[in-house]
Amino acid sequence: MLMAVLTNDQKMVLDMVRQVAREVLWEKAPQYDESGEYPWPQLETLAQLGLLGMTTPEEWGGAGLDSVTWVLAMEEIAAADPSVAVILSVTSGLPQYMLTKFGTPEQKKKYLVPLAKGEWIGAFCLTEPHAGSDPASMKLRAQKVPGGWQLDGVKSWVTSGGQAQVYVVMARGESGISSFIVEKGTPGLSFGSPERKMGLHAAHTTEVRFDGAFVPEENLLGQEGRGLAQALAGLDSGRIGIAAQAVGMARAAFEIAKAYADERTQFGQKIREFQGVGFKLADMHVKIAAARALTLEAAAKKDRGERFTLEASTAKLFASDTAVSVTRDAVQVLGGYGYHREYRAERYYRDAKITEIYEGTSEIQRLVISRELYR
Amino acid sequence: MKFVAVIRQVPDSESRLKIDAGRVDLSSATLILDQMDEYAVEEVIRLQEKHGGESVIVALGPERFEEAVRTALAMGADRAIHLVQEGYLDPITQAEALAEALRAEAPDVVLTGGQQADWDSQALGPAIAEALGWPVVTWTTALELEDGQARAKHDLDEGAEVVRVSLPAVFTTQQGLNEPRYPTLPGIMKAKKKEIRKIPISAASKVEVLEQSIQERSRLGKVLDGTKDPHAAASELIRLLHEEAKVI
Repeated sequence: MLMAVLTNDQKMVLDMVRQVAREVLWEKAPQYDESGEYPWPQLETLAQLGLLGMTTPEEWGGAGLDSVTWVLAMEEIAAADPSVAVILSVTSGLPQYMLTKFGTPEQKKKYLVPLAKGEWIGAFCLTEPHAGSDPASMKLRAQKVPGGWQLDGVKSWVTSGGQAQVYVVMARGESGISSFIVEKGTPGLSFGSPERKMGLHAAHTTEVRFDGAFVPEENLLGQEGRGLAQALAGLDSGRIGIAAQAVGMARAAFEIAKAYADERTQFGQKIREFQGVGFKLADMHVKIAAARALTLEAAAKKDRGERFTLEASTAKLFASDTAVSVTRDAVQVLGGYGYHREYRAERYYRDAKITEIYEGTSEIQRLVISRELYR
Repeated sequence: MKFVAVIRQVPDSESRLKIDAGRVDLSSATLILDQMDEYAVEEVIRLQEKHGGESVIVALGPERFEEAVRTALAMGADRAIHLVQEGYLDPITQAEALAEALRAEAPDVVLTGGQQADWDSQALGPAIAEALGWPVVTWTTALELEDGQARAKHDLDEGAEVVRVSLPAVFTTQQGLNEPRYPTLPGIMKAKKKEIRKIPISAASKVEVLEQSIQERSRLGKVLDGTKDPHAAASELIRLLHEEAKVI
């Protein structure tokens, strides 16, 4: 088993995460799914334990953890509550990662430290109503004004929109697309109501509107005109988190199906003894193991400081496909009960579908992979 | 002031144990910090937070105990002493070896689990107190320190009593004493740099284990017929749950 190659520290982190996931997140996940409430109490618990800035360097308020441990921790959190997992994946995988990589020391002190400590949640604003898979066609304008920029336009599908305190926003200016740090409370910044989604109900997704929102000079993140490249670098890292989230959901649904197939009897025997069910469980297991291995491979490459675009997309494509097929099969193994909310399998099925869409659709992952193959 | 938690590493109560050639085989078991000892670790950290001073972890056991020691350090204890010896030692022999290390540390308060989850013994705490000649309070559910003395509440079989003892003293834990914290991520990172002083020992066990077996449990298969008199069946069910199963 993998546990055998982990260091004692990694094991200790995972033991802690597993315990919190089981005792705090798993219990409340169905309630949050029903109410659609943003899970602040859950996030506060994770923040107190230092889990909202796992991979951010210690000098900037994080834990300085390696990505391999992060991936395994994300799997545990997603298995317990996929909504909490995506909020965590976004805040640490995107804004914190981009601030760590491209931020000035002042920006890090002001924004990265509270994000890493979990005092704040971060959001990432790239997609627009008419610019999804093609972000280069974005329209949100950044106009140079004395002392900074003025932003005008709309971003959509922003995870933690309205709840997050810090927004990393990609906008088009005279010298191309740039990244900006925008604080909640900035005049001219407003939010739509949470979108009514198929799953991940607790992870609010909203429109973020900019109506002459002023961004001071010092809040330009990284180089002017390099915003899209920086965002794509952020997405490489974010995709590892989403892959881990997908593995976690698949595993949780698989465990429900595995336990059920051992208890449920039909025609006088446990249903797992029917080959139709047993083989299905075997296939689910294999897919999850393969998805986890690909995700860890991408994380290990990132830890070694190597380029990991190909591995991140490969893992994200396979893991999200696995999440959807395994959660669907889990509902099938449970039969009618799988369709019942109380048995949780249907929720994972609803939650899983988005992993094939956000942070790059499966089609975009194939595009990235096919290009990376000839790079 | 100085506060010491004596801890042990035990198999997780959820792990499945196997017997191999008359011996418990722990190779496939998940090993954790004994949950009763976790209360002790939490309490020494709380005492230190309230009264200042130092919180120290003391363990006696094989090399693998280090994982549990690190967990206790990650929760927030300052440093640890690990008396290392492989193999089985009975609680009295353990207490004698621990007492020697404890005497050298000269703590004000020693806490340890009310019960040791692995061999189901409740002897370790009282035996440590005996070896040190210090007072002991078992099954402690509340502990307050005042002017070199401790005021403690502890469980009795069918009740509780409040006692006062002079320090230094030994306390064994009971569920309800506190709510142990999770180790935080920064705590885990810091624990790496904390001191664990390892002292190899070679104590001779006064008890030799010859053979171990696992008790097989089966269901009683008791079925109450509720079709004729559901009221009587419900009353009987409540009686059984209360008096026999003792769950309500």
